[in-house]
Amino acid sequence: MDFWREIFMALSRNKLRTFLTGFAISWGIFILIVLLAAGNGIINAIGEEFSDQSRNVYTLYWGETSKPFKGHGTNRAIYFNDKDIRFLETEAKHVDQVSPSSYFSGTAIFNDKSNNIFVNGVRPVFKDINNVKMLEGRFINVQDEKNSEKYIVIDKTLRDKLFGEGVSPLGQFIIINNMAFNVVGVCEAERHSDGGESYIPFSTLKSIKRISRYWRLSFTVKGLETKEENEAFTHYLRTQLAHLHEFDPDDTSAVYIGSTQEEYLQTMKIFRTFELFIWIIGFAMLISGIVGVSNIMRITVKERTNEIGIRKALGAKSRSILASIVTESLIITTIFGYIGMWLGMIAAEVGGTILAKVQEGKEISLNIVPSIDIRIVLMATALLIVCGVLAGFFPARNAVKIKPIEAMNYR
Amino acid sequence: MIRLEKINKTYFGAQPLHVLKGIDLEVAEGEMVSIMGASGSGKSTLLNILGILDNYDSGEYYLNGKLVKNLSENEAADMRNRTIGFIFQSFNLIPFKTAMENVALPLYYQNVGRKKRNELAMEYLERFGLKEWADHYPNELSGGQKQRVSMARALVTQPKVILADEPTGALDSKTSAEVMQILREVNQSGITMIIVTHERGIALRTNKIIHLKDGVIENIEINNPDSIDFDKEIK
Repeated sequence: MDFWREIFMALSRNKLRTFLTGFAISWGIFILIVLLAAGNGIINAIGEEFSDQSRNVYTLYWGETSKPFKGHGTNRAIYFNDKDIRFLETEAKHVDQVSPSSYFSGTAIFNDKSNNIFVNGVRPVFKDINNVKMLEGRFINVQDEKNSEKYIVIDKTLRDKLFGEGVSPLGQFIIINNMAFNVVGVCEAERHSDGGESYIPFSTLKSIKRISRYWRLSFTVKGLETKEENEAFTHYLRTQLAHLHEFDPDDTSAVYIGSTQEEYLQTMKIFRTFELFIWIIGFAMLISGIVGVSNIMRITVKERTNEIGIRKALGAKSRSILASIVTESLIITTIFGYIGMWLGMIAAEVGGTILAKVQEGKEISLNIVPSIDIRIVLMATALLIVCGVLAGFFPARNAVKIKPIEAMNYR
Repeated sequence: MIRLEKINKTYFGAQPLHVLKGIDLEVAEGEMVSIMGASGSGKSTLLNILGILDNYDSGEYYLNGKLVKNLSENEAADMRNRTIGFIFQSFNLIPFKTAMENVALPLYYQNVGRKKRNELAMEYLERFGLKEWADHYPNELSGGQKQRVSMARALVTQPKVILADEPTGALDSKTSAEVMQILREVNQSGITMIIVTHERGIALRTNKIIHLKDGVIENIEINNPDSIDFDKEIK
């Protein structure tokens, strides 16, 4: 009890010293958190920018055999069917989500206007794989696919031609080949097309068109992080398909297997470099925070050398002096560290909100939104506190070690 | 009370400095002695050794019948706390503690309860006429008041020996005389008193003047303070 009273008294009677020490610690942690948040914001923005390359997508294209195999001649066309989809979805290793697609073309009519239309039957995952950007409404979802809904997502070109620019088509029905489709979303026109693309659930397309073979199949993969792994996977895939379609596994023209692995691996490399970069910056900031906090603690203890000498002359034991100094610095660093941490998080949050407001509706290349990882924040704060206390401990131990008479005369 | 036998002390720096060269000294209980000497004579070192603030290289130092040698830090701290009271030239009060808290501090290190501590501290402050100043901080006190606070602090543990290092060095002559008067009274209550000074006028108020020169005791002068008219002497 007496011990704590002594400590509280020392802290409250030396308000300026307590405040300055505390401020240094608060400031160190505050800056650290704000900069970490900014760094995270930049990495997130870059991540978004590269999002269309941050997925490893495989695509199988139809081909023709070039080698005879098991009684089959050459130049036999290999198309894909529902058995392949089932194989990919249930058996194949590494396959994440399969995105089969097929299309038909026709004429879309709304009131007195009409236009050519390409109707793609797709699964919800198509949007992510092909990076479809929505302008309004939504894309085809799992529910639509399950119920074979007659919902349609049209691109901007089609919207402008049928409904007029800036007119929302959501909830309207367009007629395609005598069938009515309810418009649920509008997306941007594909970069390399003249427009007129539209998307309906894959199951809906199948029920209309009775399609049983596909020219191509796309799917995402997981857990292929090196060139070697990708090559092994391609080989595995070809062998399996050869088995299903009865062609020579060495016949590379029977099925073409393409993937975005190169871009994917490159993007991952860029990501990792940036992540490393942010970590290095964060680490450097942590170090400078530690140096700042340690310095003020060191100076504070040096200033108290006289007091330490007096206390020793009066019969204080080294351990009791050390205990009170360490406890004092622990209290200061914890309280002010906590304050700095909260202020830093509030600042990051407020900064994020302001930035989001400023960036709203503007065409900017990087959409930076500061974000913080609470675990990292807590860890950094704890580390700074520990270092602050240690930084106080060592000079205090030295001050306690020197002879009282020298400590008293210390200037 | 104090017995020194062939105390040697050398400071090992770039140039080893043999500061005390075999000091033999005995101070009986209740004596009032002063140590005089030019700067560099070793008087401060001697006082530090007597106060267990510094150690010595060879010889033997008995304090209150106990050999002070190779003490652990904690033993030294305990012995300082219970046997010795210090009075310093620069008072060495803790600036952020009130007069009363400063006086009570040595008792804190004896684990005396707060209430008891403050009672005792007040008692001693009252004895030195500082009752009204108990709640004041050192920077609100005059030099004489500060030295009286530090005397109260030195006495509050009822030590056997008071060691005073130039106790009047920072005070004017009138206040010096007052402080010396108090120290005399303290000595008359039975506490052994050792005063380091370079002022002849101060030394003349003690019963024994030990002259130190170049690390050896040159001579010991027996003195009778009662035969001296100090009003003349100090001026």
